[in-house]
Amino acid sequence: MLFNSIDFIFFYVVVTILYFVVPHKFKWIILLAASCYFYMAFVPIYILILGFTIVIDYLAGIYIENEQPPRRRKMLLAASLIANIGILVVFKYFNFLNLNVNILCDKFNYHDPIPYLKILLPIGLSFHTFQAMSYTIEVYRGNQKAERHFGMYSLYVMFYPQLVAGPIERPQNVLPQLHMKHDFSYDLMQSGLKMMLWGFFKKLVIADRLSIFVNSVYNNPDMHNGTTIAIASFFFAIQIYCDFSGYTDIAIGCARTMGFDLMRNFNRPYFASNIQDFWRRWHISLSTWFRDYVYIPLGGSKVSGRRRYLNLFIIFLLSGIWHGANYTYIIWGILHGLYSVIYILIKPYLRKTPGNRIAAALMRMGNIALTVSLVTFAWIFFRAATVHDAFTLIRNLRSFGAAPFIGDGMSNFAQSVLAILLLFILEYKLEYYPEKFNFFSSPNIVVRWGALTFTILWIVIFGVFNGGQFIYFQF
Amino acid sequence: MKNNLVIRFLVRLTAFSVILIAADRLVGFALKKIYFNQRVGQFSQTTYAVDSTRQDIMIFGSSRAVRHYSPAIISNASGLSCYDSGRDGLMIPYSTAIEEVSLARHIPKLIILDITPRELGIDKSKYEKLAILLPYCDEHPQFIKYIKEVSEFEAEKLFSKTYPYNSTAFILANNSLFSKSVEKDDNGYLPLHGVMTKVEMDDYSKRMTKRSKRTHQKTEIAETKAVNYFRQFLNNAAKNKIKTMVVISPTILNNSFYLDNQIVERDLIVKITSEYPNVTFLDFSTDPRFNHHPEKFDDVFHLNKKGSEEFSAIIAQHIKANL
Repeated sequence: MLFNSIDFIFFYVVVTILYFVVPHKFKWIILLAASCYFYMAFVPIYILILGFTIVIDYLAGIYIENEQPPRRRKMLLAASLIANIGILVVFKYFNFLNLNVNILCDKFNYHDPIPYLKILLPIGLSFHTFQAMSYTIEVYRGNQKAERHFGMYSLYVMFYPQLVAGPIERPQNVLPQLHMKHDFSYDLMQSGLKMMLWGFFKKLVIADRLSIFVNSVYNNPDMHNGTTIAIASFFFAIQIYCDFSGYTDIAIGCARTMGFDLMRNFNRPYFASNIQDFWRRWHISLSTWFRDYVYIPLGGSKVSGRRRYLNLFIIFLLSGIWHGANYTYIIWGILHGLYSVIYILIKPYLRKTPGNRIAAALMRMGNIALTVSLVTFAWIFFRAATVHDAFTLIRNLRSFGAAPFIGDGMSNFAQSVLAILLLFILEYKLEYYPEKFNFFSSPNIVVRWGALTFTILWIVIFGVFNGGQFIYFQF
Repeated sequence: MKNNLVIRFLVRLTAFSVILIAADRLVGFALKKIYFNQRVGQFSQTTYAVDSTRQDIMIFGSSRAVRHYSPAIISNASGLSCYDSGRDGLMIPYSTAIEEVSLARHIPKLIILDITPRELGIDKSKYEKLAILLPYCDEHPQFIKYIKEVSEFEAEKLFSKTYPYNSTAFILANNSLFSKSVEKDDNGYLPLHGVMTKVEMDDYSKRMTKRSKRTHQKTEIAETKAVNYFRQFLNNAAKNKIKTMVVISPTILNNSFYLDNQIVERDLIVKITSEYPNVTFLDFSTDPRFNHHPEKFDDVFHLNKKGSEEFSAIIAQHIKANL
């Protein structure tokens, strides 16, 4: 079930009403049943995979906590991680690995020794697998008590607002909240609904609008000139941000209306002034996951220079692989790894921020532009269907300066530009003037309701209602 | 205390909903006024095609219909009035919808359907674009079944009076504020004025050849639903005993549909049209008078004014022979 569908609106209203109507001790049942229904609306049978992960990690958590010898605890953790990663490998990477093996075998005239699996990728697999893994790791580390209530643990993995595209939560944040009693809160309800509205705005008005132009260019990579590709790539940078952060806003807002507080996943990433800053602002729940469970155990930044660069590189490579079984994602990860290593190498030689305010502002603008350009270039690989397509697009970038292709009419292009401008103004305000012009929470009811009405009508007038899938659902 | 909060929330939500619905009606009313007062541009052409056409010859199709057929030339040669109700970016489901509504009002002597084989292929955008019919659903409930192709709940979304004008604001503003600079159509015909160069054509040819090597590895599949719309279009004409010409208008490359992997669809058009005695099928995609003549094209998909006038004169001869 997509957030941007009429079905979801009905689902959300019914579930939220039921959630507040039933007594506290039954609330988890409502949420778990709703989460199962939500997940099964995609491909029902895949709930079994989710069920398998849940049972394994639930038992692993209890056994890890009960066991004393460190070696046995470690073995139990390893078994749980292998089971989780095993599911990921089978369902997400098997055909990709098999393809590579088959290509290799072809060279030796040995054709297709292993058959391909005819399966669809379970939706949001990487998200809930990583969330499940964070639970067993935290129990192993002693930061989290093993959850004895099977229903509550299932809900931790399956909580529907963040089940298919995050934020990838930590057990310390979510499990206590699941046990807590949540009464109806007027403030949380209205703040959550406003957050959902902003998420819908990002998704329907900006992301889906930009996707029309982006798709027409990226689906025909050999048909477009450099200017068109540059515009489409920049549009995609904005599209993926609004698509993913829009989803996150709806997820966080939806959870908030029921009294839950999910972690922040984005912090205006395109205002980052360097690549490190970008990764502190982009998909925070995934980057902190890799930091806490891979980078730091590898030694983090407390190791020698070379080892540190290698660690950093591994993190980004894994991040690329996490996104999907395609060389395009791997190259995307490698590029970000290179960017980060190069940034750390040159950081000591970079000029310090000048004292003069204008010079400092200009320098920051330049840094932001450079960061956005580097990130946008990497997105070409992320968006292209194949590595060949990505290189075709990059090769065609040489004809930058030629008249651009406008796409499906000037109107769509103009609406795309307007959407980006609006986003820039709103994000700029939030970045530099967070306390000013907060119309949604103005004490004056005319201003507040006026702003809300205006936003909803803006969505109706300028939104794209073609039920566009969220990009990150595929991961 | 808890109940008070819930009641307070519900009261405010109801009050807000009333204001929202009122605002939606107000904005919707204003947009409707602006939309149906358009005198130039494709919205006004659609409105005319839906509500007012009474011509002897009706042309249907996509942008290739709008840009390739000059009603003036056709009328002069045939002595019959003609209107071009093609629409940029729209395909066979749209043509069928407009045909159904306009035939309920008036029966022309001849129908021309300009079609490209890809219209019968898999491409969900041809259904999404049927949203263009939303403003007409109030007056023409026949369109409801077509707009349900856009999404399952499309008819329910019409509760909003603003929604039918979704994504039209820029065009409405442009056509209203700068109506003088918007090119006026000639009975639906809007010629293109650019001229392609040989370099552009060769570049396109190179890219298409490269692309064909890739696309030929894929299986070609015609889409049943689109094929059914095509059949429905022909059935509507046959039921009303209207002579019909199904035309694939000229392309810049010889048989570019072969290069673009649309052979299955093209063969299907030939087969289906042969089942109707009132239908004549004409394929200009291999016509040497147009293939490899960049001076007659505006871009890789469309003839320019010169090319379309030459083509319209040819079509007029076929019409004379047909009637």
